[in-house]
Amino acid sequence: MRTRLALIGLGTLVGVYGAWLLLSRQDFDQLRSVAVWFVAGVLLHDVLLSGVVIALGLVGSRLLPMSLRRPATIALIVIGTVTVAAVPVLGRFGARADNATLLDRNYIVGWVVFAVLVLGALALPWFRGWFRGSFRSHLNRRDKA
Amino acid sequence: MKTPLVPAPEHFTSRLRSPHVAARVGLWLGICFGICFLTGLISHYAQNPTQPVPFPASPSWGYRVTQGLHVTTGTAAIPLLLVKLWSVLPKFFERPPLRDARRLLLHGLERASIGVLVAAGIFMLTTGLMNASQWYPWGFSFRATHYAVAWIAIGSLVVHIAVKLPIIRDVLAGDVDETRHDRPTAVNEGAVSRRGLLRTTWLASGIAVVASVGSTVPLLRDVSVFGVRSGDGPAGIPINKSAVSAKVTASATSASYRLEIAYGDRSVSLTRDDLLALPQHSEILPIACVEGWSASGSWTGVRMRDLLDLVEAPAGDVRVESLQESGPFRITTLQDNFARDDRTLLALTLNGETLAIDHGFPCRLIAPNRPGVLQTKWVTRLEVFA
Repeated sequence: MRTRLALIGLGTLVGVYGAWLLLSRQDFDQLRSVAVWFVAGVLLHDVLLSGVVIALGLVGSRLLPMSLRRPATIALIVIGTVTVAAVPVLGRFGARADNATLLDRNYIVGWVVFAVLVLGALALPWFRGWFRGSFRSHLNRRDKA
Repeated sequence: MKTPLVPAPEHFTSRLRSPHVAARVGLWLGICFGICFLTGLISHYAQNPTQPVPFPASPSWGYRVTQGLHVTTGTAAIPLLLVKLWSVLPKFFERPPLRDARRLLLHGLERASIGVLVAAGIFMLTTGLMNASQWYPWGFSFRATHYAVAWIAIGSLVVHIAVKLPIIRDVLAGDVDETRHDRPTAVNEGAVSRRGLLRTTWLASGIAVVASVGSTVPLLRDVSVFGVRSGDGPAGIPINKSAVSAKVTASATSASYRLEIAYGDRSVSLTRDDLLALPQHSEILPIACVEGWSASGSWTGVRMRDLLDLVEAPAGDVRVESLQESGPFRITTLQDNFARDDRTLLALTLNGETLAIDHGFPCRLIAPNRPGVLQTKWVTRLEVFA
């Protein structure tokens, strides 16, 4: 318990130091902008993103057949989270006419290739099963003939 | 079950939303935050004009590695944070214990510390990610704010770990499929197992890194489809700030350009041709940015030490001035240990080509193990303060 209390004290001190740095080095308008971004980030995640994921979960659990739920979940985690990390480059929001070395890739094509590779890798076991199944049924038909 | 408008914790029934999952993802998230914090402190210190302990000039690739790690661990943290927050989402809907004042206070304090941690964590990753692609849709100073909020994030993380320490210890020591700390309603099998969810999270984190780290790891440039820079540019090196945005095109190409070197009342004035006539040295040094991109180049030019000897300057910090009309890094301080290092050059060519204007023509500073923003371009004056 003593270790935990010491850690709580230390963490509080470190956090208060950060708050002091934040408040003491910028003017009011800058601080207001920080506050807006602080709140906007939480709302974007807690309301928008979480809401979308909960909705996808509900829809997926009702509409998707059991066999597709696992690959769909994996696809959602991998493609979804990596896409969130790629938002600034996908939108090319920081692109500048005077600097051709910045954001110099075709990120949309990159995203499509990435998504196709992930979906392809997830579809592979299904294709293998389908191929084996159809091969077996072909053999069965031949045996019967 | 009928779907409620505002859910309560018991409405979340997936057994994937478990402390056994949250602690494992949280452990790696904490490691990423820790590395980000330490490497961020290194960068902040390296950019300080005054350094009680001189920032080392060796190894020359040190800053490249620490800042590459900074952005890499920050990127890896994004899938980790999203899955971690997903795994603890039911907590968000917990009702406060209104009838017990003591418990209510503790509950409120814990909630407040988590609120600060979540807000600061999201803020750090969002602003860092946007800064790496030079996207600044805000009114605050990025550097000052990112630095201050880093302390808030790490402080609240330490408090969070301390509060949760017993449960963290317990679940990490046990098997991931144990149910001891689960909510009673978290019994429904998910579409994936807990191990499957964790493996998928590590995979997403790894892909996020590989898809962006090519900006600093040349080997991965072709597969880094989300890399902010592909690695190309004048003389094969990308640029961060162009001559146009620094408003130096006219002054840098003017025939009246001179490099002034001053110490006390002694000074010399050199044209670019004068600089080319001095002994030339070549060094292979990286240019590395806090935004996470870096590239190695072969720089050729005059040793800083040789230039300072022209005015017989003793050891001391050097004030380096750029032709830029404004900007926070128009004037930088080159500490004595960098100024006296044989590898520190006033570069005139890069990879065998005349320095491009966007790389700092007529001449630029290049020193080992130094933040990119301090590798001043379009240098016009050096003054020694002994």
